[in-house]
Amino acid sequence: MEYVTFVEQLRLKFPGKETLLFKDLSLFFKKGEKVLLLGPSGCGKSTLLQVLSGLIPHSVDIPMKAKHIQIPDNWGFVFQDPDSQFCMPFADEEIAFALENIGVPREQMTARINELLQLVGLPISPHTNIHTLSGGMKQRLALASVLALEPDVLFLDEPTAMIDDEGTEMIWRTVKQIAHDKTVIIVEHKIEHVLDFVDRIILFNDAGEIVADGEANLIFRHYKETIASQGIWYPGVWDDYCQKRKWGKPSPKQKEMIRLADFQGYRNKKAAIRVDEASVYEGEWIAVTGKNGAGKSTLLHALMKLIPTDGEYEIEGEALQQTKQIARRAAFVFQNPEFQFVTNSVWEEVAYSLRLAKRSDEEIHSTVEKLLKTFHLEAQKDQHPYQLSVGQKRRLSVAASIIGGQKLLLLDEPTFGQDAKNTFALLELLDSYREKGTAIIMVTHDERIVQQFATRRWVIDNGRLVLDEPVARTINEALMSV
Amino acid sequence: MRLEIGYRETWLHRINPSLKLLVMLAIFIAVLFVHNPNVLANLAVALLLLFFICTGYPLKYLLLFFLPFLVIFVSTASSMTLFGEGKTTWFQWGLIHITEESFLRGMHLGFRALTFALLGLIFSLTTRPVYLFYSLMQQLKLKPKYAYSFLAGIRLIPIILEEFQTVQNALKVRGAAQVGIFEKIKRYAIPLLSQSIRRAQRIAVAMEAKRFSSGMARTFYYEISFSKYDIVFIFSMAGIIVLAYCVGTILPYVPVVDVR
Amino acid sequence: MQASKGLKLADILITVVISIVFGIVYKLWGPFYYFVKPFGLHIDQLVYGMWFIAATVAFLIIRKPGVALLAEIAASSGEFIAGSEWGLEVLIYGVVQGLLAEIVFAAFRYKRFDVLVVSLAAIGSTIGSLVMDFYKGYIEALAPWNLALFLLARFVGAVLISGVFASSLVKALEATGVTQMVRSASKEDYEQLNR
Ligand SMILES: Nc1ncnc2c1ncn2[C@@H]1O[C@H](COP(=O)(O)OP(=O)(O)OP(=O)(O)O)[C@@H](O)[C@H]1O
Ligand SMILES: Nc1ncnc2c1ncn2[C@@H]1O[C@H](COP(=O)(O)OP(=O)(O)OP(=O)(O)O)[C@@H](O)[C@H]1O
Ligand SMILES: [Mg+2]
Ligand SMILES: [Mg+2]
Repeated sequence: MEYVTFVEQLRLKFPGKETLLFKDLSLFFKKGEKVLLLGPSGCGKSTLLQVLSGLIPHSVDIPMKAKHIQIPDNWGFVFQDPDSQFCMPFADEEIAFALENIGVPREQMTARINELLQLVGLPISPHTNIHTLSGGMKQRLALASVLALEPDVLFLDEPTAMIDDEGTEMIWRTVKQIAHDKTVIIVEHKIEHVLDFVDRIILFNDAGEIVADGEANLIFRHYKETIASQGIWYPGVWDDYCQKRKWGKPSPKQKEMIRLADFQGYRNKKAAIRVDEASVYEGEWIAVTGKNGAGKSTLLHALMKLIPTDGEYEIEGEALQQTKQIARRAAFVFQNPEFQFVTNSVWEEVAYSLRLAKRSDEEIHSTVEKLLKTFHLEAQKDQHPYQLSVGQKRRLSVAASIIGGQKLLLLDEPTFGQDAKNTFALLELLDSYREKGTAIIMVTHDERIVQQFATRRWVIDNGRLVLDEPVARTINEALMSV
Repeated sequence: MRLEIGYRETWLHRINPSLKLLVMLAIFIAVLFVHNPNVLANLAVALLLLFFICTGYPLKYLLLFFLPFLVIFVSTASSMTLFGEGKTTWFQWGLIHITEESFLRGMHLGFRALTFALLGLIFSLTTRPVYLFYSLMQQLKLKPKYAYSFLAGIRLIPIILEEFQTVQNALKVRGAAQVGIFEKIKRYAIPLLSQSIRRAQRIAVAMEAKRFSSGMARTFYYEISFSKYDIVFIFSMAGIIVLAYCVGTILPYVPVVDVR
Repeated sequence: MQASKGLKLADILITVVISIVFGIVYKLWGPFYYFVKPFGLHIDQLVYGMWFIAATVAFLIIRKPGVALLAEIAASSGEFIAGSEWGLEVLIYGVVQGLLAEIVFAAFRYKRFDVLVVSLAAIGSTIGSLVMDFYKGYIEALAPWNLALFLLARFVGAVLISGVFASSLVKALEATGVTQMVRSASKEDYEQLNR
């Protein structure tokens, strides 16, 4: 059998780190295989994809060596971060850039561009400024420009991490359609959408070693224990989890925390989000849902007054005007974790709020260490926040924000890109805060989280709060089968 | 760069960007050898007319763009006027020494600054960077890796400006201790720079992942070629220069022909 | 992994992007320069050195041949595209200033990155700018005392801003670990793979 890509005895180490990320790792991929790489967050999946595609060490100089390595001739790569994979200002120009690279004649480009946009379900006019697209739309554009290369091998690094259900469906459907004859190597935490597509799964553990490799169904049957202990997503993980878990008490309706009436937030002088009337009480967990680009992040930005607002908005009976004042009552987690890092190491990042509050050194030390443990970041504590894996960055941003002990938490997709273990740990921690009376407003695309943890749901559509309904926090039998 | 402002496309927009750049650079160098203030004043006025009539922007914006250039004119002219050497003294007070020669030299410098500024402004108002770099690749054989790096860089400008906002937001949300001015500059400059470097690096990786390589022949989405407007442009520029020269020598405003 | 023929795409892109950041600074610096100019006696020349900083900072970060020149050209293009008050002039100045800084770094074979070399590069750029001024601005016609003051202020400003300040800026950047990503991995790192 011919292999399209493989490495043998791969060793890789980040500069300045003590340990090797991979030690003598060998992996082979046959032509036409659809492979899913599963492993805990931070085990090296993204790095491995870059090695397999030759980006390391050709474009990124990271010390590595391998006995043998073969890179596919014709490949495409979709990255985790939607914002930094474009080099041209407009959507059509970006796709054209890929077409130019492979020498498509100019006359065919316009037609190809329209076709590709259609294919990934991006109904925009081709000459649209990329800067105005939502994260989900950007990711679809990235896929379109990769498909323009007509690759034989596709590397997909969580292409749908921040995309709504509909978009996720659409992207995987697209991939399935166009990739039946291609080799596809996928890293994805939201496995339910890809399970019927992949025919091989490779399981990694924390240390970046392969613990299982085989046919998709068999893996889940034979390695359930390993998978569960590594905290990796598998079908039915939610059900198992729900059975084991001690459920937190619903907090009785208490004091009103936030009151909104005729509230609006503006972007570029235009009303971008509107809430006619809403309240949030202590001990509530509000899940904010809606499509990509609906205005969920905008709502949170408005609540932090990071954008201009008007209308009635009170926190604990007070109408606060400045972000600084609000930040004392409310912790905020940006959708893009990188937006909020202000220090040079993981440890300092978590300690930052406590240092500002002039807490004692011992208190800082013990609190930080405890939180780093909860979020599985102990091994990274001296690393720069930007040098973390995507999931680690996400956890760090949440840890650093909630450490201040505010009674209100505004979280913008705090669980994207996480493995099962970390997702549950994070949700449980939040739920324990909620039980003590903290109010949580959390944007998420994950319906199971809404069903299992939220007490109420806000649906945002087209820049408007259109639905505000309680969620019965019971284990819904119908939803148990993932 | 000024894409947000609506403008009417004029013949100046349709000139081949490389040609436009080269012609303007040629004028630039030629102007360095003009020492006759009469000629230079004529040239500046001609370019001023071109700027106001042919760039296709609303007058309101043109005036707005032009304002800083007036300041430059005055300030360039004044420092030579006030402190320059010369024989025919008009006014002296302390260190300030205005002579006829220094005054004329000052005015000359002012017009020169104005000419350069207008050349640049006309160029940047009527040229889309994407077309410029495509043209540089096609006509002047600029290496694609440089051209696309510039384009990616230009795409990042609004993102960088937004990042400034983001740093500000982060500091607001996370809280920040009061510090001195030097620390404050660093607090903004360091994250901005380091974030830009990281972003640039990732984009470079993404570009190579899209199989960008400098060795291969490539096609171009925008084919930038020459048209009749290029001929119009060359002739009108030549016309302006000849006219400025003739009028300046035949009907001088001041009797001086060399300010040196 | 030694740097082979010329700059890699990442080097170019990073140089261009930092330079564009400085290009914006350059653009904003223009009005500031003209704001201090009327104070007379060439106070303005003290701040002139800011226009050389892209070359030195970019070189200190990437440490490869050609970067200083490219950075200064890119920064002046950025300034130009952003609508500089000086128009086309900035492009030519950029080329000349970058070239002279590049020559200084080359004279040390691109092996030294200390304040002294960087300050020398700033002085190189200053000389470049003066050559241009000589052709454009008749500076030799200034009264001698005035010319001396003018030159002194420009050199001192250049060393302070594009030499000393640039070095300290890059030191602070190094603390964030970003430069490690840009420079090639060291031999030791590769050797550790064999343990
Ligand atoms: N530049 C770097 N310097 C040092 N360590 C790094 C660097 N980049 C990544 N790492 C570390 O390497 C490990 C693997 O990172 P990688 O991004 O490959 O993880 P991942 O498996 O993709 O995780 P996730 O699912 O969270 O995206 C992480 O522990 C991360 O902290
Ligand atoms: N900084 C910005 N400037 C201008 N418009 C913006 C900005 N950020 C977002 N928008 C626009 O506002 C609308 C709402 O965006 P928002 O980011 O709030 O959506 P979202 O619901 O959070 O989507 P997603 O699920 O993709 O995160 C979108 O149309 C988007 O294009
Ligand atoms: Mg990853
Ligand atoms: Mg959002």
